[in-house]
Amino acid sequence: MQVEIADNGAFGSALVHLRPGEEFISEGGSMFRASSNVDIDVTTRTRGSGGIMSGIKRMIGGEHFFFSRYSITDGQDAQVGLAPKLQGQVALIECDGMTRWLCAGGSYLGSGPDLGIDTQFQGLRGALSGESLFFLAVEGAGPLIVNAFGHITPLDVQGEITIDTGHVVAFQESLEYSIGKAGGSWVSSVLTSEGLVMHFSGHGRVYVQSHNPSEFGKTLGPLLPKRN
Amino acid sequence: MDYVIHSNPSYSVVEVTIAPGEQIVTESGAMAWMTPNMRAQTSARGGIMSGLSRAVLSGESFFQNTYESEDGPGTIGLAPGQPGAIFVYELNDDELLLEKGAYLASTTDIATSSDFQGLRGLFNEGMFVLRVSGSGTLFFNAYGDIQEIEVDGTYVVDNGHAVAWQPTLQYRLTKAARIRSFLFSDQIIMEFSGKGKLWVQSRNPRSLADWVFPFRATNQG
Repeated sequence: MQVEIADNGAFGSALVHLRPGEEFISEGGSMFRASSNVDIDVTTRTRGSGGIMSGIKRMIGGEHFFFSRYSITDGQDAQVGLAPKLQGQVALIECDGMTRWLCAGGSYLGSGPDLGIDTQFQGLRGALSGESLFFLAVEGAGPLIVNAFGHITPLDVQGEITIDTGHVVAFQESLEYSIGKAGGSWVSSVLTSEGLVMHFSGHGRVYVQSHNPSEFGKTLGPLLPKRN
Repeated sequence: MDYVIHSNPSYSVVEVTIAPGEQIVTESGAMAWMTPNMRAQTSARGGIMSGLSRAVLSGESFFQNTYESEDGPGTIGLAPGQPGAIFVYELNDDELLLEKGAYLASTTDIATSSDFQGLRGLFNEGMFVLRVSGSGTLFFNAYGDIQEIEVDGTYVVDNGHAVAWQPTLQYRLTKAARIRSFLFSDQIIMEFSGKGKLWVQSRNPRSLADWVFPFRATNQG
């Protein structure tokens, strides 16, 4: 299995090369090209995650209800191209199986079949911010593909760092983290519309994205006709 | 004719420089800037019927602009309506089929016409695609990166991601191989077969529109 990242400027995408017997998982519907010997199965399951209920949890988490699972029909080599919806870069994370990764709801693009994926609910504080504070917990060893809105920057944390929740793509669970407010109080946080931030400490890697998808949505949404 | 493409594939724009006597035909509205010695002729190239079929059937402009320069070389900057790649293809007495909106510009010995795709087009980007034929330089554009695929046998592309293909390829619309998704409408995919080149885009404008949809205000307030 080999993952090739194409055009990592504004429109990154991933081309996954599969050998006979190999499989791959993606966010439901993110395949945009594939060799014709690829079978696309729609599933609520990944390794280590439950059935329907975890599918519902993922839907709440801002993810598609389903994963797409790709397998080979004829014992030949195959390829699957995966692309996110928004503009931005795509990054490949090689999970080593030692530490889990937490991947922000909208940032998951695909993963190898040996990675288990489950939803982590971040509680009421998440609801207060109006942003989805759900993470997919990714466990095991293998390739994990994430997408960013805009530029993606890996940060190796040694000590502490504070990141706006809308800019977190994925991070290693070896980091301690807490969710808090950016301003001195809830009032100032709301007034400055700097919503929630995540305080990280310890050692580990965090991927951040240059742009916040919700801010983009809030810019465009009011310009469109109202919905019922 | 000389050209240079800037910022490919993110925000591609092509600057075309032509000598006196040369012409460049562009999609109406593609001109972003030009030197003052460029002269435009707007016409329904190939006649009214050809213009009509281009506009009504293939989703391109009724009018195309033909630019030429006076008193020395002139330069024109051409930009598509969406951010993404511009691809240059040299036609040599052959043809390409372009999906709706992909045509940007071409030299004058290239003709465009619409090509009926049958009723399957109802489930696709449209019932007609643009047939581009002749000899010369063709510029086409996409939303996102453009990736070239050499098809020999069959290859599948998600609906909305095909940009252009050689007419030696056929396609049919199909559903993903095994569907257990009775709960939601699943991906319709285009299955290309034959031997030839195919170009796909790495983003889909419709997916972006769907993504923005929930951010709209509600009527309730």
